[in-house]
Amino acid sequence: MKFFKITLLLFLFPMLVSSVSHKFYVSMTNLEYVPEKQTIQIISKIFIEDLEQVLQKRYSPLVVLNPKKETEADINYLKKYVSQKLKISINNKPVELIYIGKEYDIDMVNMYFEIENISELTSIEIKNKILFDMFPEQQNIIHIISPDTNRKMILDKDHPDGLLNFN
Amino acid sequence: MKLFKISSLIVLFLATGFSYSQEEDQKEERVPGHYNNNPFKQLYEEFSTPNQYRSASGAPGPAYYQQQADYVMDIELDDKNKKLTGYETITYTNNSPDVLDYIWVQLDQNMRAKDSKTPLIESSGTAPADMAGNFVNQYMGEGFDGGFNIESVKDDHGNDLDYIINRTMMRIELPKSMNNGDKFVFSIRWWYNINNHVNGRGRSGYEEFEDGNRAYVIAQFFPRMAVYSDVEGWQNSQFWGRDEFALVFGDYEVNITVPADHILDGTGVLQNRKEVFSKEMMTRYENAKKSYDEPVIIVTQGEADEASTSFDANKKTWKFKAKNVRDYAFASSRRFIWDMMAVKVGERDVMAVSMYPKEGNPLWEDWSTKLVASTLKSYSRMTFDYPYPKAISVHAKNQGMEYPMICWNYGRPDKDGSYSERTKYGMFGVIIHEVGHNYFPMIINSDERQWTWMDEGINTFVQYIAEQDFGEKYPEAIAPNKKYPSRRGPAKNIVSYMSGDQSSIAPIMTKGLNTYNFGANGYSKPGTGLNILRETVMGRELFDYSFKTYAQRWMFKHPSPEDFFRTMEDASAMDLDWFWRGWFYTTNVVDIGVGEVKKYYVTSKMTKEVKEMMTARGMKESDLPPLVYLVEEGSDDFEESMRTSTLDDVSTLQEYIMDNLSPEEIAKLKKPTFFYEVTFEKPGRLPMPIIAEYTYSDGTTERVTYPVQIWKTSDQSVGKVIASEKEITKIVVDPDEETADVDTSNNTWPKRKKLGKFDSFKEKKVKG
Repeated sequence: MKFFKITLLLFLFPMLVSSVSHKFYVSMTNLEYVPEKQTIQIISKIFIEDLEQVLQKRYSPLVVLNPKKETEADINYLKKYVSQKLKISINNKPVELIYIGKEYDIDMVNMYFEIENISELTSIEIKNKILFDMFPEQQNIIHIISPDTNRKMILDKDHPDGLLNFN
Repeated sequence: MKLFKISSLIVLFLATGFSYSQEEDQKEERVPGHYNNNPFKQLYEEFSTPNQYRSASGAPGPAYYQQQADYVMDIELDDKNKKLTGYETITYTNNSPDVLDYIWVQLDQNMRAKDSKTPLIESSGTAPADMAGNFVNQYMGEGFDGGFNIESVKDDHGNDLDYIINRTMMRIELPKSMNNGDKFVFSIRWWYNINNHVNGRGRSGYEEFEDGNRAYVIAQFFPRMAVYSDVEGWQNSQFWGRDEFALVFGDYEVNITVPADHILDGTGVLQNRKEVFSKEMMTRYENAKKSYDEPVIIVTQGEADEASTSFDANKKTWKFKAKNVRDYAFASSRRFIWDMMAVKVGERDVMAVSMYPKEGNPLWEDWSTKLVASTLKSYSRMTFDYPYPKAISVHAKNQGMEYPMICWNYGRPDKDGSYSERTKYGMFGVIIHEVGHNYFPMIINSDERQWTWMDEGINTFVQYIAEQDFGEKYPEAIAPNKKYPSRRGPAKNIVSYMSGDQSSIAPIMTKGLNTYNFGANGYSKPGTGLNILRETVMGRELFDYSFKTYAQRWMFKHPSPEDFFRTMEDASAMDLDWFWRGWFYTTNVVDIGVGEVKKYYVTSKMTKEVKEMMTARGMKESDLPPLVYLVEEGSDDFEESMRTSTLDDVSTLQEYIMDNLSPEEIAKLKKPTFFYEVTFEKPGRLPMPIIAEYTYSDGTTERVTYPVQIWKTSDQSVGKVIASEKEITKIVVDPDEETADVDTSNNTWPKRKKLGKFDSFKEKKVKG
């Protein structure tokens, strides 16, 4: 019988949300350009439960995201996954995202990244495919802030890229 | 006063003249007419017309009716074969003025039948690679059959009745048409295979544990009468698995037979406690009825463990009676731990009850029953005293689902008994939410199949209040937080949803099946909207009175959306059509900001601008009465000396004051020296009151709320002149983020640099 149950799981999962399911498949990523520091500061806010599920499915069913329980390996999976799925190009060149750290806020995790040595900003291209491999409804909202810009982009499975030119 | 009238007349004339000359240059184009698109337009077109059944006040009308369905049921749970069998007799009463030739009965379990169409409407995509096992399951499996097997449908003389089944709905032909007041008695014999609710996801079913035992949470398990009403006729919209239920009130007599070693609780009052309880359990139960602060354990973990080691072939029947409920559900297992305590609601004692397998501990024995009790108190305060004798919270993995007097809730610690904040608050939130559903929709019985928000949204709103109450009552439960960290309720938490992609947002007034982001649409947005109404638009006093009026008017009845909207206005004298229209009927967003801020100085010297206008019209200064002029800082007429001058230096003003006012009146006059023209902009289509906080040079602040009607004719921007004795250094719109403003970057003047959340995190990190 086991596989019938799983069949049902696959079919019915999206339909049978429980009565209080939080389910609202959205992440928020803020990118702020700070010219004085020549950096771009990034904060990504993602539901822990969803991230945990995707990491368990991709890497190991034992992954836990929980400050009291998680191991170095779990955090590495998390960093690996996010760095694969979140790609940024500045002024048409791919850049490195320096991982600063993360903090849990009950059911959300805030991840902090920084991009250094940005003396001038002409364009930002961002590809954020986080959780698209798990939840077809997932939307990743990108908020780009600079001294004279304030723009929002919504990325989804069909449109995982956004480009903003500053000229 | 005459002088002022003339002057304002002239100023008006000048202003109009000016705008005319501007238009002369433009080519005239005929602009087409339009319907009334004002956001404050009344909802006559959207609302149904009030009638004898439902009054324009939002109350039930003089001819309001509702049907009744009373049930007598014998149920047997076959734990070994995971099978549920039932024989039920329904007495259906037609209180409608209509003649009925057939009736509809709901067969929700058919959603799990082999031929269910539910999987067929789910869109699916192929994955580039799949695990072999998944592939077999998905494309090569046969499927589980969890649909109803209807063995007989008979009238009260034992004659077979004609019926047809259209998936989850069964139409029974009546041997004789039912007139108003008629009763029809019929019975149905049925059985079905119980599904595993953990693997298959579902609101009813069993969870299987490693020791081979199961915990059953059984709901929508019997053929149930559909609702017939003045609004829908028969509500026989199919059950696809998500949109919940529309159900009729009635009295239930239910006998449930389960293995003798099971512990069971369900909707209603247990009739044969002495037969099914041990002596020890009876003593503990008597103690629980007198314990108002701490739950008393009725079945201990040790007892549950012991029962779990064997499988009793004997049976036991638990007998319940429930008055005036719209549904029935129960939970049964030999693994259940059981605790209870009493809670005073008004003059009555109600039992707060929890049932959980040991996997729920330590969280469940610590908090479940206290959460139930606290929730009943909060909801009773906001609506009416809880009318049922008990409320049970059952722990079921992954579940959050509600039935009268009983609900299933998630929140399971790790195997070692530890748990994260997420698990804890998940459990707290779900218990408060599901117990709260006893009010919406179990008693204020809205149609869930049609309107998700009427139970989920309204319930989410009261849940927020109940969470805050719980945090205040049990600070140790939420430490180190000072305030319960509610996810849904605070306005700013809905912003990320409302500012999302418009193509995947549906108005709240959409049938649940057709909405995207079900949770945000049906729960958070309406719940948050009501919180904004309460805190920001109406104020607690007016809101709470109106909300209570709605709850009491529709207690044990079937409200429609208009009944809610109308009552909230009827009881408060607030026209809220703009809010219902904007928040419920559209996907519009709130975005209000501060635009230009101009600073002015007062002088008695005629400005160049006015002089030019006078000349163009052949008028001289002496034609005018004495006027006071406002000069914008930095304009041609502006002189540095104006910065230090006061109103005493404005001769026209001084003359007027000295000639017209008594010394006492003069002493009372305010002496503003700073004049500002502030433009508030509204890029968002949804109107909201403008909450403006002015900060002055001495550091003091003042908050002014301009009622939403400030947008009555102008939908884009409005100007406000502020006269102040102190210089304004800062203006912030919606300083507490209470209006769900989707873009706060325009909320501050002068433009403010964003707070460095990133920098403070990084600093903390570096310091370690």
